[in-house]
Amino acid sequence: MGSVKIKNMTKTFGDFTALHDINLDIEEGEFFALLGPSGCGKTTTMRCIAGFENPSSGSIYIGDREVERIPANRRNCGMVFQSYALFPHMNVFENVAYSLNIKQLNASNPIKQMGIYARLLTKRFGKYPEDLKNKVMEILEYVELENHAERLTSELSGGQQQRVALARALVMEPAVLLMDEPLSNLDQKLRHSMRNTIRTIQQDLGITTIFVTHDQEEAMSMADRVAVMDKGQIVQIGTPTELYSNPSTPFIANFVGTSNILKGTVEGEENGFTVVKGEGFLLRSSNKAKKKEVDVIIRPEHVKVEAADSVIDHAMTNVIEGTVIMSTYLGSIVRYDVQVGSYQLIVDTTYSSGANIFEEGKKVKLTVDHERVLLI
Amino acid sequence: MNRIKNSINGLTVVKVLIYAFFGLFMLLPLLSVFIVSFTGEPTNLLGSLTDPAIFNSTLEKFKNISLDNYKRIFSGKGYFSALKNSLALAFTVTIIIILVCIPLAYGIARTKMPFKKTISALCMIPLIVPTFISAYAFIIMFGRAGWVTQIYNALGGEGMLLNPYSMAGVVAVQVFFFFPYALWPLVAAFKVSDISLEEASQNLGAKNWFTFIFVTFPLALPGVISSALLIFTVSFSDFGSPIVLAPKELNLLVVEAYREISGFFNWGGAAILTVVMVIVAAFFFYLQHLYTKGKNYGSVSGKPKQQKLIENKLLTRVLSGYSLFVVLIPLLAMLSVALQSVATTWGKDLLPSGYTLNHYKTIFSTSMGNIQNSIMLATGALVLSVIIATFVSYFVVRQNSAKLDFIASIPLVVPGIAFGIALIQTFNTMPLQLTGTAVLLIIAYTIRRLPYMVRSTMGSMRAIKQDIEEAAVNLGATPLTAAITIVGPLMLPGIAAGSVLVFITVIKEASVSILLAPPEWAPMSLAIFQNILRAEYYSAAAMSIVLIVLVLVLQGIASFIGKKQRL
Repeated sequence: MGSVKIKNMTKTFGDFTALHDINLDIEEGEFFALLGPSGCGKTTTMRCIAGFENPSSGSIYIGDREVERIPANRRNCGMVFQSYALFPHMNVFENVAYSLNIKQLNASNPIKQMGIYARLLTKRFGKYPEDLKNKVMEILEYVELENHAERLTSELSGGQQQRVALARALVMEPAVLLMDEPLSNLDQKLRHSMRNTIRTIQQDLGITTIFVTHDQEEAMSMADRVAVMDKGQIVQIGTPTELYSNPSTPFIANFVGTSNILKGTVEGEENGFTVVKGEGFLLRSSNKAKKKEVDVIIRPEHVKVEAADSVIDHAMTNVIEGTVIMSTYLGSIVRYDVQVGSYQLIVDTTYSSGANIFEEGKKVKLTVDHERVLLI
Repeated sequence: MNRIKNSINGLTVVKVLIYAFFGLFMLLPLLSVFIVSFTGEPTNLLGSLTDPAIFNSTLEKFKNISLDNYKRIFSGKGYFSALKNSLALAFTVTIIIILVCIPLAYGIARTKMPFKKTISALCMIPLIVPTFISAYAFIIMFGRAGWVTQIYNALGGEGMLLNPYSMAGVVAVQVFFFFPYALWPLVAAFKVSDISLEEASQNLGAKNWFTFIFVTFPLALPGVISSALLIFTVSFSDFGSPIVLAPKELNLLVVEAYREISGFFNWGGAAILTVVMVIVAAFFFYLQHLYTKGKNYGSVSGKPKQQKLIENKLLTRVLSGYSLFVVLIPLLAMLSVALQSVATTWGKDLLPSGYTLNHYKTIFSTSMGNIQNSIMLATGALVLSVIIATFVSYFVVRQNSAKLDFIASIPLVVPGIAFGIALIQTFNTMPLQLTGTAVLLIIAYTIRRLPYMVRSTMGSMRAIKQDIEEAAVNLGATPLTAAITIVGPLMLPGIAAGSVLVFITVIKEASVSILLAPPEWAPMSLAIFQNILRAEYYSAAAMSIVLIVLVLVLQGIASFIGKKQRL
């Protein structure tokens, strides 16, 4: 098992800078997600760790070892590929046994090596030693595929293929487990159950795991910590709750969950609150602003909608006036699009049966608590 | 520095070995032939590197470099007329084949002509038969005592219908045995041209023939031109039919070059003919490449276009009759060879005077060695080309090695006789004296047929996704182990298909065998050739049939494997 450290890593392909000064410090046993839109460099980062790409500069440590001189085949990073990359000419057992065979191959004399090559190439000579067999069956049991050992991988369902890929990576007892978009090829329902499976296995084995995804929900629900990447750079690293409640940039605020982002100017301080003014609104925030022109971030679920004639204590909360443009009933919540000045704010309110839904065109008052107004 | 260290592994060593192989056995011989064409004397380039004395004599020869040989080409009659004749032959054959093939291709692609399947199947025959056997078959048919001649005379004709020992004879053999090379590209061209354009033309009031000339044909034109260029190169490089049929007064480049080397040991002359051959063949190959590059008229989207097949009775019957005539001639030629192989004597009358299996008995008792040689040489070439082609396609597909791709396709443009001469010249002295050994023969076969193998393996290599290989490396395999255990097995279908092709073409190969094979390693093709020269026609016929049957069996195995793979 090992920690992973990346220091000042950059990667260029010709003129294109794919990664720019990446610094990561992933602890042993941590479940770490690299999150970002496609083309942000998250997969390149992972491929650098696995050794499929060489960083143009900077260094990578797995455990305490600097790995630049270690080729991909000796890095001991188990990888689950996006396409699973199962060997189509081998059955489930042979797929999982592959890395064990290779390990034996490297430790044997030339005559024994011939035997191992023979069993790698054809089933007919597939005489496996007991301990190797047991190890493979054990891990197959672990992913609940012990009854499918003799199947061809093409005969398995997507979820089963995924588990073979996982078993194949785990059986080599890797220092780090790398997963490239592990759930993207599964349908919605399977994705949910696989999320739990992967998370449980990771916790169970305590294996350092890095996984790449473009799906923020996936990252937030599974990972201990998340690094959000954009345009070859890491924008923010934090626990899911940190990222959600304290996004460092508007990009993250929008990428991690939904946000209303308003442009505002800091007017001054008042009773310990920062006063921000913008087009169609005046807000007090318990945040300290670092600059004059700020982005105001308000999460949809932190806004309440009140009738236009309701009486609200302005000292306790912010009040913004607006007009409902659209209301969408989503079962447990109702989503309003509310016109405020030139902005359209998204507001999610929990719906309890029998409650009033504001109709389109209705004037309303929106309230947001001071500590829910985020200034970046 | 570290990057360099990382990249040095087993695969890099293999890559260097492959470059060395091509360098030593292909580029060096071609270079040395080029030099000899100027010096007029053999130069020992390899020896120059190892022995100072040879180096000095090579330097001495370099001082004698002159354009004398090249002047002879343009002033002297011999070489220039050989070039002229060869070009004329290739040109005539090309024009005739295109004219012959257009109706045939149109019939197959666009009509419901009767016997279409039979005709398509019979079109395979010419591809199976080596040209020196087909040339010989034409002698049986059209020669002075040939059965066609006899029928012709009985009908009141004078002399021979077609003298096989003439330019016309060579043209006829090449036309009837090379036309499939043009036919299938043409069929494809007619199939992809958009039917709706033709319907538009008809809708605008055009008659069918008008539509064909002004719409259908121009649309198929790219296919026509590119197959014409292909035929030109094939005909120009062909050795089998000229060596059997060309009379003394008709000098063709390939024959001339062969005579210079095997008759007179005139290194300078042979070298210059070789250089000219390579340049002409390369030029036309380049033209074809250039022409087809920007145009991928073959690759239409996956959606099959609705093709309306013409059912007009008169047209389809005429086309069918015509097509049957074209494909029947190669068939009759082969039947003639088969008949001769079981005849006691044949020539006085229309049919043989008696039948016997003695010729086969003779072959299996005295010439078993040739059959064994053929199989062993072909197996050797097969193994070598499988190994080389697999790695070449790996480097080309995975590492984008365009250089290797280019080098591996050079053999396509070097006529067999030219390549044979280049090899003899380079390896007939120390330090690497290989001329007259089976090793050089196998290497020559391998290099000559490598492009087929590479094309086949490259296809299956492209189908293997990169991440499968990366997965193996990730699981601890070195790139070389990954190549052996993962990539190799997945490429097997491509390798199998290419192997059969290589095996068949090596068994059929005439030019390299005739030039390079030592007596103790004489393959079937050389034995047949010598039998024809010695006028031992009956055993030549029997041996030809054995060769063709062998090829047919292999082809059968190949298509069986192919079918199994698809299931």
